[in-house]
Amino acid sequence: MVGSFIFVPILLLMIVNVLSFSHKSKLHNILFGFGLLTALAQIALVLWPNKNFWQLTANYQFNVIKFNLAADNLTLVMLLAIGLVGLIALIVARGLINDVDQEYNFTNLWFIALTGMNGLVLATDIFSLYVFIEITAVASFILIALTKERDALEGAFKYVIFSSFATVLMLAAIALLVFFAGDTSFAAIANAIKANPGNSLILMGLILYLLSVFIKSGLIPFHGWLPDAYSAAPAITSIFIAGIVTKVVGIYPLIRFVQLTGTLADPLRNILLLVGGTSIVIAALSALGQTNFKRLLAYSSISQMGYIVLGLAAGSALGLAGAILHIFNHAVFKSLLFINAAAVEKQTGTLDIDKMGGLAEKMPYTGATSAIASLSTAGIPPLSGFWSKLLIIIALWNAQLYFYATVAVLASLLTLGYMLTLQRKVFFGQLENAFYETKEAGWQLVLPSLLLAGIILGLGLGFPWLINTWLIPIGKIL
Amino acid sequence: MTPPIMTMLVIALPIFASLLILLTPKRWPASQPTILMAATIASLFLSFSLFGKESMVSFPWLGGGLDFSFRLYQFSAFIVAAVAAFSFLIALYTLSFFRADNQSKLFAFYLLLSQGLAAGAVLANNLVVMLFFWEALLLTLFGFILLGGQYSFKTAIKAFTINGITDLCMMLGIVLTIFLAGTATMTKINLPLDTLGATAFIFLMIGAIAKAGSMPFHTWIPDAALDAPLPFMAFLPAALEKLLGIYLLTRISFDLFQLKPESWVSSLLMIVGAATLILAVLMALIQKNYKKLLSYHAISQVGYMILGLGTAVPAGMVGGLFHMINHAMYKSCLFLTGGSVEKQAGTTDLEKLGGLGWKMPVTFGCFLIAAASISGVPPFNGFFSKELVYDGALERGTIFYVIALLGSFFTAASFLKLGHAAYFGQAATQTRETKEAAWPMLLPMIIIAALCLLFGLWNALPLNNLIQPVFGQQLAGHNYAGLPHNLFLIVMTVIVIGLALLNHWFGVKRYGSGLKAADHIHYAPGLKQAYNLAEKKFFDPYELGLKAIRLFAIIAWGLDRLIDWLYSGLATSAARLLSLVIRKSHSGNYATYLWWVIVSLAGSMLYIFMVK
Amino acid sequence: MRLGNLEIEIIIALFLVLTALWTVMARSLLRAAIGLALTSAMLTVMMYKLNAPLAAVFELSVCSGLISVIFITTISLTQPLTWAEIYEHERERLSRFRPLPFIILLLGLFFWLVKVDLALPTVVAEKVTDVRVVLWSLRQLDLVGQIICLLAGAFGVTILFKAWRGK
Repeated sequence: MVGSFIFVPILLLMIVNVLSFSHKSKLHNILFGFGLLTALAQIALVLWPNKNFWQLTANYQFNVIKFNLAADNLTLVMLLAIGLVGLIALIVARGLINDVDQEYNFTNLWFIALTGMNGLVLATDIFSLYVFIEITAVASFILIALTKERDALEGAFKYVIFSSFATVLMLAAIALLVFFAGDTSFAAIANAIKANPGNSLILMGLILYLLSVFIKSGLIPFHGWLPDAYSAAPAITSIFIAGIVTKVVGIYPLIRFVQLTGTLADPLRNILLLVGGTSIVIAALSALGQTNFKRLLAYSSISQMGYIVLGLAAGSALGLAGAILHIFNHAVFKSLLFINAAAVEKQTGTLDIDKMGGLAEKMPYTGATSAIASLSTAGIPPLSGFWSKLLIIIALWNAQLYFYATVAVLASLLTLGYMLTLQRKVFFGQLENAFYETKEAGWQLVLPSLLLAGIILGLGLGFPWLINTWLIPIGKIL
Repeated sequence: MTPPIMTMLVIALPIFASLLILLTPKRWPASQPTILMAATIASLFLSFSLFGKESMVSFPWLGGGLDFSFRLYQFSAFIVAAVAAFSFLIALYTLSFFRADNQSKLFAFYLLLSQGLAAGAVLANNLVVMLFFWEALLLTLFGFILLGGQYSFKTAIKAFTINGITDLCMMLGIVLTIFLAGTATMTKINLPLDTLGATAFIFLMIGAIAKAGSMPFHTWIPDAALDAPLPFMAFLPAALEKLLGIYLLTRISFDLFQLKPESWVSSLLMIVGAATLILAVLMALIQKNYKKLLSYHAISQVGYMILGLGTAVPAGMVGGLFHMINHAMYKSCLFLTGGSVEKQAGTTDLEKLGGLGWKMPVTFGCFLIAAASISGVPPFNGFFSKELVYDGALERGTIFYVIALLGSFFTAASFLKLGHAAYFGQAATQTRETKEAAWPMLLPMIIIAALCLLFGLWNALPLNNLIQPVFGQQLAGHNYAGLPHNLFLIVMTVIVIGLALLNHWFGVKRYGSGLKAADHIHYAPGLKQAYNLAEKKFFDPYELGLKAIRLFAIIAWGLDRLIDWLYSGLATSAARLLSLVIRKSHSGNYATYLWWVIVSLAGSMLYIFMVK
Repeated sequence: MRLGNLEIEIIIALFLVLTALWTVMARSLLRAAIGLALTSAMLTVMMYKLNAPLAAVFELSVCSGLISVIFITTISLTQPLTWAEIYEHERERLSRFRPLPFIILLLGLFFWLVKVDLALPTVVAEKVTDVRVVLWSLRQLDLVGQIICLLAGAFGVTILFKAWRGK
């Protein structure tokens, strides 16, 4: 019944849209309610797994429809992250978007993106994976361009260009791999890779796949679209896209790639390491110089994804566990930071951090939660970000990649540097006169912020429990 | 009550009472002195009833041979009784000394706590347990000095630092000793003074003599004399710390290790002792403050004890230990007279004092006895113990004897000066109205003065009952009770005292004032410069250390600035520059970005196929 | 001279490249759209030669047919550029393609230097399945995916273009 992760959202969406004769705001409330239920159900199904639900799915064949879907531990974590960030985005959208039409549109696209991401993480077949990547990508384009402002359209356009480039590479890669495997399932491809070690065409297919995924996740130097898309998108889209979509579209296929190839061949691994390391350092340095709140966060996203890539490149269960934990952590803290940015933008009307100052006084919840998220990003114990970075660094060290381990550690300082700069300029220091009347954003923003901050703290403190029950089993998928 | 329970009670009772004092509310002002007196009297009786009893108590503690074990025997019972006695007398004295309630409450708390801890340290039969109590005493020392008011903090830090460092040495010594002996139980340790043994011994010795206040670990005492409350001086540096320090020195010299007269360690001890006694007394001679002068004597007299014990010959050993108990008595008596003077006259500055002899006759009488005692005038107790030390010193080397004798000369001279300046001569205008102190302050002084006389006239009482049994076999049948056996020494002592009188008379004649009676020594060529340097604390290892630390701090600060510049200056500007370059390269044109992608693609391909 | 199979394929490939280049370098959108249709046509021929007639039919009907029609309709709705704009655009347009020969050279150099061994798999899976089976039973999930994708596209059109009409 894993298929319900794909079918339920899309059916709900269709039902509500067929009902469109009803009044728009009423309709939207129904859709919003469905969305909440879907997200909550998704979270609940992962957190309190029902054996029947998950096991039936493994080889379950519907009478008419026959799907190859499967859920391993990685999928569970991804589903949890998708559900969580989805839920948060849905709630925040109610506080951020004032226009009913636009909110309705957002919720519709939210459903499509959710379906796409769910299908993506459940796919057992490289072509299905590709199809769902495209679904999510199309939903993302429209989400970015939602307000139809000039910048947003430009951002969406860049994303379209880069995304189609990635698509071409991905298709080429699939073609090359299928050529050898004779089938598109992950298992067949993995077998083909094992059976033909050092085959040039397979290698070419792998590297095309890898680069396509790099573009999708916006790693340096494939990141041209990302800062523009993140910063030009409407506030709510930034939260959703930066929080989860890019990770599912970009990093998740990368993890599957690592899983497919087994222990990475040295050249591929070196490319992963190089791209990961470059992303961490260059993006962190770029973030240092940004004055736009969201742009800074966008670069920070790239830098954090670099950590994930390094964790994957370490090629050990520990590194994989660290990378997956970091995806989840990143989804949590980056969503939180984008919510903070949205709150600040909504209340002050600007995103220029040079113009802000002392906002913590007027927006205490936003200030406090963003401090927690920033520290977690920088990997300060005992917040959750610390543990995932620690795992990644230990894995790198164990893999004798001392240089990259050192880079990862030193880049943490850079992270701390730009995050503290951000905190100082926006939330601390002298309150600017212009913001004397600023108030805290509504509950739709504060409540999710508090929830996410709570997760950061809870995961950080409950890490010893987490590592045994979740992470070690995940690492075993290698 | 069985001896083991009593032994534990001797430690526990004061500590318990001290906590009780801390807990008593302000609403019952009478409760605090009541508890203090009751606890001190009870522990006094308790410890006196322990005389002649022996017991071993042991509780499992840290494991691995580290038990909470205590041993009551003749020596420890003697020290515990002395501690209890001084505690009682000082408690009595403080009844009317302190004005502020809070101060007296804290003082009572520290007093009882120190008494309990000192008893613990003395009774401990395990080196680690002893160290535990020993270190805890450091805290009460700190607290005591802090009671002195706002300026005392610096002194408290100084005392804490010096004692902390020496305690650290002692800790090292203990670790080494345990390593050598294979056990921490003191009764089982008896080590020869070979190279490692001597090292361990010297570390332990540093802890012991520093506690006793020997040079060069003495420098906090004169500072404390001015800053800390006076009963503290009479209790800790004058009595308790001497008792503890010399007790430990005796234990390690003749019990834990085998100190022999021919060993270099013995010579080292004698040198330390001789240097301490002569240098400190020279400093005492020129002081113009009652308390500070006394504090230098508290240091100087330690020299006699260390010298005596260091000789490692029977006469010296008995003399050193006898001098310890004598010194504890007369020096605390002297400090108490100083306290009376301070309380009644409002100052201890000798230039403002004078003619107090007729206004405070009891105090003066006690001062006279104690001063005579410390100067070694027969037939007071100090005379007999000093004679024994002289005897031992002469046996080991004439030079030590000469120095000890010289020390005596200056001691006598400085007390002549002190007595003259404070109790004779013209009364200064500020102190004209001075009256005799209250009886709770007089009583302890009278008791101690009486004991000084008793221990002198009937020296067989302490020597036969307290001192000589400590050494047992090591005395080889000697008995030093009664008059000194060496007539030569007596003659020399009398001559020296006579010379001191003569010197004083000469000084007074020349400068026309008791206070300036020692100025001809103070301003003698050569000595003058040395005194100047000493007054500027040039010879104070703590101050020197502070200077070195300050220098080091400046260097470290410079280094820190450099590193800071490297990080915050160089590194951040490099990061900024890089950041700028990267930002500039982001033109915003998607075609540029696409080029990056294509170039990277080509690069990756090339790399993969080149490597393959 | 009788052309062999391989020679024909090479010629078709060359044409494919040429039409693609023309599409990219074309001065006007209309010509580009036509070029795209031509490229698709070449691709169709190639697919047919490669024994994939169904794919060829799809390619021809959807890419050269449907999409070209949509493109040309859309372009006819736009406003033509002024001469000054055309001149400006022209200069810029040509400068973009200067690196092209170098890239081709570099690519050639690359393949010559690296000597990629195009080792084909010894046993290529030659499982000919009916296209209906492929579509309706093997790739169901992908079909669903395509439907969702279309849905998303429909949403995009509604959201992004409906409001413009309103303006």
